Amino acid sequence: MDEKKSLELMALLDGTGEPGRREAVEAWLCSEPDAEALRQELSWVRQALREHEPATKVPETREFYWSQIQRRMDQAAPFEPRPEPRRRFGDWLSWLVPVAGVAAVTLLVSLHPWQGGPLNPGLNEATATTYTSEADGVTIHWID
Amino acid sequence: MPSSLKNDYPSSPDEALVGWAQKGDTEAFEELVFRHRDKIYARAMMMMRNEEEAMDLSQEAWVKSWQRLHQFQGDSSFATWMTRIVINLCLDQIRRQKKMRAESIEQIEEEAGGVERQMPVEHVNPIEGLEKEELRKRIDEAMAKLTEAHRTVLVLHEFQGMEYKEIARKVGISIGTVMSRLFYARRRMASLLQGLKRERKI
Repeated sequence: MDEKKSLELMALLDGTGEPGRREAVEAWLCSEPDAEALRQELSWVRQALREHEPATKVPETREFYWSQIQRRMDQAAPFEPRPEPRRRFGDWLSWLVPVAGVAAVTLLVSLHPWQGGPLNPGLNEATATTYTSEADGVTIHWID
Repeated sequence: MPSSLKNDYPSSPDEALVGWAQKGDTEAFEELVFRHRDKIYARAMMMMRNEEEAMDLSQEAWVKSWQRLHQFQGDSSFATWMTRIVINLCLDQIRRQKKMRAESIEQIEEEAGGVERQMPVEHVNPIEGLEKEELRKRIDEAMAKLTEAHRTVLVLHEFQGMEYKEIARKVGISIGTVMSRLFYARRRMASLLQGLKRERKI
């Protein structure tokens, strides 16, 4: 039997063969009496293995098996916990928004004129004179 | 972990247990061991065909996973991640053993390929009508009769789901060798399963 075509047939059954070779392999399957039997053999073996993996159980009790693992874990290098993930932009934004809000309120309060009285008591004693000339478009203030 | 939640281990999904274990919770890790120990042991047993080695390597795999748990990102399931670890340990062990022992002429001929050309094609499917457990048992018996090289490629492809390229890289052979070993292994399995059927009839 053609070894190269046999391997190509297997690769096609496994879904990894070259698509361009499908026709050549199919022609071979029709021309060679044993080739179709080989295809069937490879198919049922493949299916049987994939669907019936032998299941072997640990021949020890849970406690004994775990105690042996635990003993090895204690002797091995110390446990390394997973580091906390680095903050992403979204995480930064979640606390940046309230901080920015507080800062804005603080700024507004500091710039707003004090309602409870004059900011500078000394200004009550000052006198101001204003001269305006409409023709010249000029306004002059004198503060004494 | 609050003590009130400790009883939740058995009903918690793997993802939650992994998360707790990554923070150093050994009880969560123990639950993961309990859940997946048979699968990990079975994979090691399939590769090594030796109970003592399978036990040792499966336990080693759990210790390795505990140490590397911080690297687990959840890209695959925890069980898949664990089977990769145990497979790697088995391959390392096989490499070490291979260096130490001379192989038989039969093995060398089989691994070189070409023997399968002399094998007749099995026209009758010997597994038809078999109960699942009986079939599993027969497959296990047949796998034990394969050479290590063929069994390794078969396990990696059929049970571990690896592609030819990935197997070639892992085992350190060419893709062509992977294909010829896999081809031979399947043909030999067909022949062995047919033989087991005949034996049972007698």
